[in-house]
Order: sequence, then C-alpha cells, then structure tokens
Amino acid sequence: MKHLTLGAAIFAALATPVMADDITVGFAIAKSGWMEAYDTPAATAAKIRIDEINAAGGLLGKQIKWIEADTRTDRAEAAKAGLEMVDQGAQMMVVSCDYDFGSPAALVAEGEGMNSFFLCAEDVKAGIQGVGPNAFSASVLAPVQGATMAEWSYNKRAARKAYVLEDTFIEYNKGICTGFDWMFPRLEGAEIVGRDTFKNDDASIASQITRIKALPQEPDVIMLCSVMPGAAAAVRQIRAAGINSLILNGSAVDGSYWLDATPDLSGFVVPVQGSIYGDDPRPEVEAFNVAYEKATGARPASQYAYPGYVLIDLWAKAVERAGTVDGAAVTAELEKMKDEPTAFGPRSFSSELHHQNTALMQIIEITNGKPGRVDEWRISEPVPMDVLITK
Amino acid sequence: MTLQLLFDALSLGGIYAIAALGIALIFGVMKLVNFAHGQFIAFAVFALIVPSTDAVAVMGLGAAPALVLVPALLAVGAGLAVASEYLVFRPLRNASPVALMVASFALGVVIQNVLLVFYGGRPKAISLWPDLGKPVQLLGAEVPMLQIIVICAVLLVLALLALMLKRSRIGLEMRAAAEDFGMARLLGVRANAVIAGAFALSGALAATVALVLVAQTGVADVRMGGQIMLIAFIATVVGGMGSLPGAVAAGFAIGAASVALQAALPIEARPFRDAFLYGLVILVLLLRPQGLFASASAKPRV
Repeated sequence: MKHLTLGAAIFAALATPVMADDITVGFAIAKSGWMEAYDTPAATAAKIRIDEINAAGGLLGKQIKWIEADTRTDRAEAAKAGLEMVDQGAQMMVVSCDYDFGSPAALVAEGEGMNSFFLCAEDVKAGIQGVGPNAFSASVLAPVQGATMAEWSYNKRAARKAYVLEDTFIEYNKGICTGFDWMFPRLEGAEIVGRDTFKNDDASIASQITRIKALPQEPDVIMLCSVMPGAAAAVRQIRAAGINSLILNGSAVDGSYWLDATPDLSGFVVPVQGSIYGDDPRPEVEAFNVAYEKATGARPASQYAYPGYVLIDLWAKAVERAGTVDGAAVTAELEKMKDEPTAFGPRSFSSELHHQNTALMQIIEITNGKPGRVDEWRISEPVPMDVLITK
Repeated sequence: MTLQLLFDALSLGGIYAIAALGIALIFGVMKLVNFAHGQFIAFAVFALIVPSTDAVAVMGLGAAPALVLVPALLAVGAGLAVASEYLVFRPLRNASPVALMVASFALGVVIQNVLLVFYGGRPKAISLWPDLGKPVQLLGAEVPMLQIIVICAVLLVLALLALMLKRSRIGLEMRAAAEDFGMARLLGVRANAVIAGAFALSGALAATVALVLVAQTGVADVRMGGQIMLIAFIATVVGGMGSLPGAVAAGFAIGAASVALQAALPIEARPFRDAFLYGLVILVLLLRPQGLFASASAKPRV
C-alpha cells in the first residue's frame, strides 16, 4: 500500500511537472538527423521571442515556459515526440519545418484541440488542408515565392523569355514552379520558352544543359525550382557551361554558405522574408539578427530563422486577444488577422488558409559572389486557392 | 547536339562504371554486395574539408595541390575500405551472404552518422577546381573540360586495372578468387591479401567517384553517394554479378540510357525518367536473368 501511494505520488509528479501558472510551449522538433540543421535556427528564433515576451511581463500575466523532444528526423519518432510534449503539459505545439516530418506531431496536437505551428513549412498541406483547423505555418507559401520571382523579374529586369528547370525531389520545388507558371504567362508579352526536370541527386545535369544551349536564343531568366544541395550543383553546372541568364530560385537557397560551389557567381536572385546580410531597410530585422548572434554566437545562416520568431509573435498576440490558450479560441483570433504587422512584414490568416498567399518579400541578388538586398516586391494579387490546391 | 549528347553519356556512364567496378570487385572475391559503398563516396567527399558543423566549409585536404590531393584522397578511400574490411567483414568472413549484406547496410549507417556528428546535416559547398567546368571546343561540340577529364580518367583507371588483373600476381589471385574462392585458397591463394587488396581498390575507386562528383557539383552532402550506389549496384546486376567487364559495360550503358531518355522523353514523362530506366533494366534481366556477362561461378553447376 505504501508503495502504491509512493507510486501514485511519483506518477502525479511526473504528470504535472509544469507549474500551473506557466504557459507551456512544446517543441517537437529534430534535434538530430539531417532536419536538425533546418529546425534549430527557427526554434532558436522562437525561443528568442519567448524570452522577449517573458521579459516584457509574459503572456496573460504568466511566464511562457518551453519544453522540447527530439523527432530524430523520423516520422514515427515525430509522433512519439508530440505525445511526449502533450504528456508534459504542452499547451501549444511547435513542430518540424517540413510537412512530412512535422505533421505527425501536429496531428497529435490537433487531436488534443491544441494549436500547432510548423517552423517553416511552405506547402499548403501544412495547415487546415493536411492537418486540421488548428494548424498553422508562419512561413510564406512556395508558390508565392515563384510568383514573386516571375513578376519582379518581368518588371525590374525586363524578363520576357523564361526557361523553367524543376527539381522533382520534393513538393516545395513543385510549389515554386507552380507559382512561377501561374504568374509569368499572365504578364503581357512574357513567355515560357522551354522546361525540363532533373533530380536533386543527379550526378550531372549535362543533358539538361545541352537542351538549354540548343535554344535559338539564351533565355532572359531561368527559374530554377530546387533546394540544396542540387540547386548549388545545378547553378555551378549552368554557369560553367557559359549560360549567363539571370537565375531565379525560391527562399530555400538563401544564405551565403553555399556560394563557394560557384566562385564569383553573379545574376542569381532569391526572394526572402528578411535579409540576413545587415542591409534590410527595416531596423527590427537587423535588431533580430543581432539578438540571434548574441544568443548563438553567429548571425542567422539563412532566412529560415525568421518564421520561428514570427510564429511565436503572432500566436502570443492571438492568445492575448482571446484571453486563453485554448486552441479553437486562439485559432479564431488568428483567423481575424489581416495584414497584422510583424518585424518581417504583414501576415494574414483566414478560415480557408493558415498560410501566406501573398507577402512583402525582400529580393536578394548575388553579384560577384556577394549577396545583398537589391529590392522588395509584393505580388499584385494573391496566389488563388485553386492554384495552391491543384498543384 | 548529338556529339554533345555522346560526351554527356560517356561522362555520366564513366562515373557509374567506376562506382559499379568498386562494387563488383568486392562481390567477386567474397560474394558481398557492399551497400556501404555510397557512404565510402560521401566519406571521401567530406575528407576534403575540415570537420565542423558551421554552415561555411573550410577546405582542409581539398586546398592541397592536385598532385598531393588526388593520391591522398585515394589513400583515404582505400584506408577506410581496408579498415571496414578488417573491423567488420573479416570477423564475418564465414557468415552467410545475407548477414554480410546486412552488416554492410549497418556500416553505411554508422559512416553516415559519423559524418553527421562531425559535419552537421546541412549540405556544404566545396570549390574544387572550378575552372574544370569551363567548356572547350572539341569536334564542333562545346564540352566541359571536366567531361573530357572524366572520360580520360575512366579509360586510364580501366586500363590500369585490366593491366593489374592480367599481369600482376595479386591480379591473378583476384581473378582466381572471383572464379572459385574455395578452390583458389586450396591452390595457395592468400585469402586475406586478396580480400584486403580488393577492398583497397574498391575504396580508391569510391574516392575517384567522390573527386569527380565534387568537381562537377561543388557540394558535399551526407546523403550523397546513395543514388550512385543504387545505380552502380544495378549495373553490377545487369552486367552479371562478379563480372568486372560486365559491371563497366553496364555502368556505361545505364549512364547512356539515362542521358538518352532525358533527351528524348517528352516533358510530361521526363520526371519519370528513372522509372523508364529501371523498366529497361527489368527488360534486360527478363531476357538475360544471369546478367549480360555472367561469371562462371554465378552459373549453377549441374
């Protein structure tokens, strides 16, 4: 009997390790495996925002606490990590960047009626469509990035003839091309003159390059829908072959860490949510970069730290307005957000879409191997729902 | 355009041929399909840079002049393969082929995770001989310098290997071992030397593939090598398990078929290029189940 009481006491202690007057955010993210390199920066940014909110008096008068579990870049482990967070008293769940690796934990949160946020998913499935009514992503949808590249290059670089080179590795790449394919042909006098596909781990894209070189005239722009490491490999091979078209890509290749792959690269453009290079016109962005450096010892390596900061910011505002952390109530407040200002530009959610179908994006261009912000652009109309869904 | 495609096909086929040879060599002497071969390639790639989990890679060995770099990297590849043989496969020498295969998978996972620990999960950029990508005019085609070097290097490697197998004592022993390992041992072939030699050669071939890949793509990723390993394995099967010329021929054939499909398929079908490629492989195997050049030991004895 004595043992039973002791057992019950231990069980009770394990079940409620979190003080009742804290708000607990659970991170079910990859702390090991290849996804770790993508999850850690965004999770660090989320914790920076949590610390800021706590320092300013907390949320609903309570301090925010965070707990975390490792998904090991594994879908089965991700579901377990989600359950572990629920058991430890998480009231909101932050999950892995990618839809495939984040959704198992997000589904656990959905089952508990909690809100979940993907750290940086850019596929429409990572929300209402693929998880449930309380799931959100704080990043900008991949088709918006492709459409931004189409409209910006048309207006600012007189791009009329485009070539589309799609890496069939992941859905994200398809999303970038979908956005570009939707926007570019709508523009007066613009035309996609050819397209081809490759695989991210192809040892060589020589035959794809041979096809581009066989065109009667070099295209103005090449829309490269790809991610690392295939994107760097493709850029190296395109430039080595003497093709000088402006190369466009999505946010996923932001960062200067890969530029050694193509020494002295010029004419390469990506849209980002904020500049990591210290030249963003908005002082809040640079203030965050400095705070990030203080917390980790290095500036963000790419823009993918930013959505982590934005998600806590938006969620905390919605919680403040709802007066509770209850999933449905917070979702209702999030869905009321229309161009809600954040440090990285306005954000909106609706009852159909828990993503950004339009966004003010900073344009980063690499010239002589040096990246820098050259412009900003917001597409003239949001990417329509049928384009997002049928891709 | 046609000539261009021929060079594309030869250079891609050459990479596959060297990788397939690395697998066929080991299969020949000990009936082991070494599924860690892809990780051998990745390991050799990462050996070029200083271990660090930072986003920006710092060249270590990769900064050395080519005359030092190439032999050193081949030695790294050979060293890793010989160490794997000594630590993993030698204790399992008499285990069943299935156990050996599972062990090679496990070895691959271990190598990949060691790389993850020391280098992190983010792909890294490596600028190795960027000038090699520049195109040169050759017979009316614009061919990247690297393609010519790859094709020449493949021919050189194959010639040297053929010479070694035909003329040297260890080569003779390897061929004997590939024919019938038990009989060869009874006739005085030194099993340990032959197997260690095959692993060293295989590792050096993996390092050769690594060099070509890095010079071509400029990136290092812990998952790289996996796709090449798969195609190389298929090439050894198509070529006839254990047949070295078969592996080389099939490697070239698969590379050429891949380039031809990429060039000829309509855009809607192009994302499924590899499905067509493997469809062709199945067709070949239906017609010749023992592979194109089956070795004598692969045929059942009556």
